[in-house]
Amino acid sequence: MRHRARWIALAVGAFVAVLAVVLATQVGTDPRADTNRSHLVGKDAPAFDLPTLDGNHVRSNELAGKVVIVNFWNSWCLPCHQEHGALVEFARRHAGDPSFVMIGIVRDDTDSAIRRYVEEEGVRYTVAFDPGARAALDFGTRGQPETYAISPDGVVQGAQIGPSDVALLERLYAAAGGRP
Amino acid sequence: MSRRALAWVALAAVLVITLAIVAWPRGGDASDASRVSSLSSELRCPDCEGQSIEQSSTETARAARADIRQRVATGQSDGEIRQAYIDKFGDSILLKPEGGGLGIVVWGLPAAALVLGGGGLVIALRRWRREPHQHPTDADRELVGRARP
Repeated sequence: MRHRARWIALAVGAFVAVLAVVLATQVGTDPRADTNRSHLVGKDAPAFDLPTLDGNHVRSNELAGKVVIVNFWNSWCLPCHQEHGALVEFARRHAGDPSFVMIGIVRDDTDSAIRRYVEEEGVRYTVAFDPGARAALDFGTRGQPETYAISPDGVVQGAQIGPSDVALLERLYAAAGGRP
Repeated sequence: MSRRALAWVALAAVLVITLAIVAWPRGGDASDASRVSSLSSELRCPDCEGQSIEQSSTETARAARADIRQRVATGQSDGEIRQAYIDKFGDSILLKPEGGGLGIVVWGLPAAALVLGGGGLVIALRRWRREPHQHPTDADRELVGRARP
C-alpha cells in the first residue's frame, strides 16, 4: 500500500512538474504575438500582377532590381488614415530614386471610394487593386495597414503590421537595400 | 476470471474502442470537395476573430478557400497545404494545435490529467470498499435504547 501511494505521489509530482515547466516557458508569451509579425521576412516575395488605379498593371516580375515598398490599405481603415501622412512624405522623399517603387495595394474596398480618397488626400504613388484578395492572401496579411519591404532580388526584408511612420519606413527601405 | 475482473476488462475495451474510433485518421478516399471543406475548417480565417476559413465570408477567406481548392486539384496533400499556410501565417493559422512540439503537451496534459484522475478514483473507490463496515455492538444498541424516551 505504501509503495502504491509512493507511485501515485510520483506520478502527480511528475505531472505538476511538467505543468510548471510548460507554464514557466510560456510566461510572457503572448499567443497573439504570432499574428503581429510577418512570416514572409527572409522569403521570396509573392508574385503578383494587379490592375492599377490608372488603368495599367503592376507586375512583380517587372520590378526586379528595384527596392519595392508594398503597403496594404483601404479608405475605411482608421489606422490607414493615421499612417497616410507618413506614406505620402516617405514617397515624396524618394520620388527621384529610379530604383525605388512604392505600391499601395487596396484591401477590401470599392473602386469609387479609393478614387475619391486618392484624389482628396493626394496619393502620388502607384495604387493597385487586388481582385479576389489573392495578393493579400499570398502576402499572409491579416488586415490593414501592413507594409512590406522587398529587396532588388525579390526577397521580403522587412515588414510592419499596423501603422508605420516615416522613420520606420526609412528603416524598412534601408533593410531592403534602399540608398540612404 | 472473476465477474468483477470481467467488468473491468469490458470497461477498458469500450474505452479503447471509443478512443480508437475518435482518434483514427479519416480515410484517404475523401472527395476533393470534402478535403477542401475539412482543410478550410481546420484553418483560422486570417482577418477575423475565432472563425475558420470555412465559416468566414471575408474576401481573404474566400480567396483562401479558392486557393485550397486549387491546391487540392493540383494534387497537393493535406499536409503540404497545411504547411503552406503555416509558412505564410505561422502556427496560429491552425485552429487546433499540431501534434508535435508544444502541441504534444497541449494534447497530452489533459489526457495525463484524465488518466491520473481516473486512476486515483479507482484506487480510492477500491480502498473505500475494503474499509471494514462498522456494525453496532450490543453496547451501542444499549446506549441508543437508553437515549430513546
